[in-house]
Amino acid sequence: MTEPLLSIRNLKTHFHTDEGTVRAVDGVSLDVDRGETVCVVGESGSGKTVTAESITRLIPEPPGEIVDGTVRFDGEDVTAMSEKQLEALRGGRIGHIFQNPQGALNPVYTVGWQIREAIQLHDKKAKDKEARERAIDLLDRVGIPDATSRIDDYPHEFSGGMKQRIVIAMALASNPDLLIADEPTTALDVTIQMQILRLLNQVQEEFNTGIVMITHDLGVVAEVADRVVVMYAGKVMEEGDVYEIFENPSHPYTRALLECLPGRGEKMSAIGGSLPSTTSPPDGCRFHPRCPYAVGDCEIGEQPPMYAVDDGDHAVSCVHFEPGADPSVVLGEDGSDAVGGARADGGDETGGDAR
Amino acid sequence: MKWYIARRLAWTVVATFIILSLTFGLMAASPDPQAASYVAQQVQEGGDFEEAQESYERARGLDQPLWERYKNYMIGMVTLDWGWSETRSQPVTEAILEAWPYSVMYATPALIISTVLGVAIGLYSATHRNSLEDYAASAFAFFGISIPDFWFGILMILIFGVWLGWIPIYYHSDVPWFSLQNVQQLIAPTLVVTLSSIASEMRFSRATALEYVNAEFVKTAKAKGADSWRRVTRHIFRPALVPLSTILVGDILNIVLVSSYLVEVVFGIPGLGQLSYKAIIQQDVALVLATVLIPTFIAIVGNLFQDLAYTVLDPRISYGER
Repeated sequence: MTEPLLSIRNLKTHFHTDEGTVRAVDGVSLDVDRGETVCVVGESGSGKTVTAESITRLIPEPPGEIVDGTVRFDGEDVTAMSEKQLEALRGGRIGHIFQNPQGALNPVYTVGWQIREAIQLHDKKAKDKEARERAIDLLDRVGIPDATSRIDDYPHEFSGGMKQRIVIAMALASNPDLLIADEPTTALDVTIQMQILRLLNQVQEEFNTGIVMITHDLGVVAEVADRVVVMYAGKVMEEGDVYEIFENPSHPYTRALLECLPGRGEKMSAIGGSLPSTTSPPDGCRFHPRCPYAVGDCEIGEQPPMYAVDDGDHAVSCVHFEPGADPSVVLGEDGSDAVGGARADGGDETGGDAR
Repeated sequence: MKWYIARRLAWTVVATFIILSLTFGLMAASPDPQAASYVAQQVQEGGDFEEAQESYERARGLDQPLWERYKNYMIGMVTLDWGWSETRSQPVTEAILEAWPYSVMYATPALIISTVLGVAIGLYSATHRNSLEDYAASAFAFFGISIPDFWFGILMILIFGVWLGWIPIYYHSDVPWFSLQNVQQLIAPTLVVTLSSIASEMRFSRATALEYVNAEFVKTAKAKGADSWRRVTRHIFRPALVPLSTILVGDILNIVLVSSYLVEVVFGIPGLGQLSYKAIIQQDVALVLATVLIPTFIAIVGNLFQDLAYTVLDPRISYGER
């Protein structure tokens, strides 16, 4: 098997603050292949964004620091790269899309100027005129109507959805192999969300781009993900194929997350308690203080390793799934579907085609 | 945009008119120390009180009705006939023409140095927050803000003039303008004015740039592959220019209204500050008015340029076309 496009191993990103060291990401591993969409889910503060921004070292250093682990992109170790190499990587082979399109564009430059900047930073030979032509093409490709006349407009003259398309156009300026999208639809109108997700999917099909999508919206996950990584307090709780995660959620945290989803035809519930302290996290499983199935073993030692669930692409960090342990403690007596009708694509049988 | 500029220009004219009218009102309502001393002198020499007063008023045109005087005053202002300075026995405009180059000689370099260095250091502080350099710059800025101009000036004279003998103790106005000697004697006053304005420039540009250092669009620029120099100059400094442009006018006013008086009196520079100071002490009403009107006009014109600069710097401002 060839090496995946992006391979994160045991990544630890800490922030050194006056209140102590914040262990925002504390041993995260994940892989992304070309043409694959991996969704990183978890509630706010679980370390999703820091994971995403650690990939190209966008986090401010200091106070941030990647203290351990490797990030390999196409065979090269990003954590060992010089600033010059990183600058070539950012916006070159790896494009970024951010959560808030209102703030992601510089208000004093035209959108054309900003897309041209993205092009010319990585293609030093591109003359202004040529870069402008390419910028118009990009705007056209991301679905800005009348791109030729709108290229000289300023960001405030566009709507939120249009701005996000422009941000995507900038991310695509150098035909990247990997797109990192940090909650790209969270700040947008529901009607616009689907358009943006479809646009990303088109891009992926056209260029076989790998996508890391950060989101807390399980609806989005169901829509676009091939694989899912569930994060909690800087650790990976569960990962696997999107259908596995939705049909057979195994970690108590994943199950609790799914129970928070409205529209399953069952009673909605919230997860009691709140995220643990990031400066002094609890021993054992990070989730045990809020976990209804916690036993003595959960409170000691390190976060449990990833145990395989069934035979498929599915692993979970929970003592109840240790070989020899009894998973039915979490899954219920019949061993399946204790959460209820949560399904990939929200139960839409044709959902796979919608994207 | 055109209409915005036209309206802005029209408002400048209106504001000037209002200020001139107010000034006239104040002048008409205030007692005239010159008249008092003239009448007192006439009476002492055996003249009649009433007659002396009348002859003074006739000579000054004060016997005319108020609106006539107002008309003459406004015409005088527009035609640059700003009255007669009793204490200097010359037209007010002539006194100002003689004085202003001396103020410009130290104020211009001080303004340029403090703006360029102040903004540069402020930007560096903002992008290197809580570093040793940032703390050093902050300490320097607070020193500059805290130390009074006149005291710092006296210290300079004492240390570099009296003890070390590097600079003259007071300003020699008979030295040719374009000579090394003149440059030498302008160094100390320039430094004093620079220190007081660079401090506020540094603090202001640091605070302004800090708003943009963590802005999302700066992160976008980083994610596009922009290096740190490009991020600071293109993505932090350029949007920060909009608020930064506002401080320049205030800075000039601060020099004209505050620093110039203190510095020129301490160093003995015959500039506008000293001219105004002496006029106030000697109650030379016409000259006081003229020297006070200068900063007023600087404020009006400065604000005009500032608003025009906004039209270029900030594309988000809506000018409400007619």
